[in-house]
Amino acid sequence: MRSAETNELCWLSMADLGRMIATKEVSPVEVVRAHLDRISALDARLRAFITVCADSALQSARASEADLMAGKVAGPLHGVPWAPKDLYSTKGVRTTGGSKILGDSVPAADATVVARLGAAGAIVLGKLNMHEFAYGPEGLNAHYGDARNPWDARAHRITGGSSSGSGAAVAAGLAPGSLGSDTGGSIRIPASLCGITGLKPTYGRVSRAGVLPLAWSMDHVGPMTRTARDCALMLNAIAGYDPADPTTSVLPVPDYTAALRGDVKGLRVGLLCAHFTDVATAEVRAAVEAAAEQLERAGAILDEVNLAGVLHVAAASSAIVASEALAYHAGWMRARPQDYQPDVRERLRMGAFVSGAHYVRAQQLRALVRSEIDDALAKRDVLLAPATPIPAPVLGERETTLGDGTSDVRAALIRLTRPFNYSGHPAGAAPCGFTAGGLPIGLQIVGRPFDEATVLRVVDAYQRLTDWHTRRPSAA
Amino acid sequence: MLAPMEIGVETLRRMAALGGFVWTDAELESIRPAVERLLEMLERLESVPIGDLEPTTQYRMF
Repeated sequence: MRSAETNELCWLSMADLGRMIATKEVSPVEVVRAHLDRISALDARLRAFITVCADSALQSARASEADLMAGKVAGPLHGVPWAPKDLYSTKGVRTTGGSKILGDSVPAADATVVARLGAAGAIVLGKLNMHEFAYGPEGLNAHYGDARNPWDARAHRITGGSSSGSGAAVAAGLAPGSLGSDTGGSIRIPASLCGITGLKPTYGRVSRAGVLPLAWSMDHVGPMTRTARDCALMLNAIAGYDPADPTTSVLPVPDYTAALRGDVKGLRVGLLCAHFTDVATAEVRAAVEAAAEQLERAGAILDEVNLAGVLHVAAASSAIVASEALAYHAGWMRARPQDYQPDVRERLRMGAFVSGAHYVRAQQLRALVRSEIDDALAKRDVLLAPATPIPAPVLGERETTLGDGTSDVRAALIRLTRPFNYSGHPAGAAPCGFTAGGLPIGLQIVGRPFDEATVLRVVDAYQRLTDWHTRRPSAA
Repeated sequence: MLAPMEIGVETLRRMAALGGFVWTDAELESIRPAVERLLEMLERLESVPIGDLEPTTQYRMF
């Protein structure tokens, strides 16, 4: 195969790669080698990977090829490469959490979802960069370098985080899919800023066993890919009850690809206003409104929704995350605080000043907010909003313009995603346009609890109508 | 509208010590504005009418 053709393999979807591998149009070894070559060529600049597993990936690819030749195909992801954020335990491969503290930590077993993707035939290329311990939506990392947004030719904009390497790798064709984690938006923010498709499933839909926690009651794990179909394929492999994670649901797992019918006719779509649009840039607002209108033209029934209760989310979820995060990190924060990067150390310290009464109050409000979102979704199938009110900020920028004022970048980035971590509803993000400067704009799609299928159906239908998700970044 | 909250470093030191954390004055001073903002925000939550709503963590268990 010529190198140009080899390079094109890196832009195929997981679905196409799986189909081509199953029909022996391409070998898993060629596919894995093409991705490893691309990682070698680009990752010194993009810093998407913390660890590249070249030898084991090629070994797995050869085994996958042998199985294929013997007529044993594990499923639609057989031989397809992917890469997890570096907080998923991987047997025999270090799992750093993006930290110095766990820099030499080598798990003895895979996280449940890593094992499930392995059983589905998928091949791990390596472990992806992240904000240290997932505690930051910018995607910064003082220990392994900051991942760079491939949509900026000079590579000086952030990817968003905390799943920063996942955003950069998938957007730049270094991996066709990833698993990120999302405590305040850490799948949807990098998906928005890097122009890819991500899904935070309902709390309880996907096991978090073997995944380093940030805040147990807000943490979700989910796929990051370039298409809704690929998210559906990954979700098919990872969703479902896990005895190792007592929060997982026993509800049956549907075939998420079966929901991708390509139409939205008759679906009731609520466009979130006020909190969700007031401070978004004019370009972000226009792109999201245009996406909503496009769905309306395709047969969806559109109206506007105001969720007044989300005004309390910033304070209440801060109390929860600060308390739960410090509870997990207390031992290291006492013994080796100097080993945290400064912004994460400061955020962890905040947990010491939140009282038990504050925490319980925040959990009371959680029921209120969740009920308000449930009510909105009782009359609608999905809700739409921007995923982030701004496009990718410049690396090192601490403040940004938000509406008529200024905001710190962190608060701006999580403003529109965090309500659905607090409530637990499934929420996806997908590209819906670009700024005049060429930066991606992300659309957020929120669904009813355990109805990821409809979220993916809407994103898939939208991706059949548009080509935003097929565009390739300049720095890649 | 609540008055802006002001918390001294000594108060912060005592609160941190209750959790077993020993932080320097400079470290406490650097987070003092953020702690004041957070506690102000949390105090505002007290005025949200929630009746006797029971706290929930996550989630509806099925």
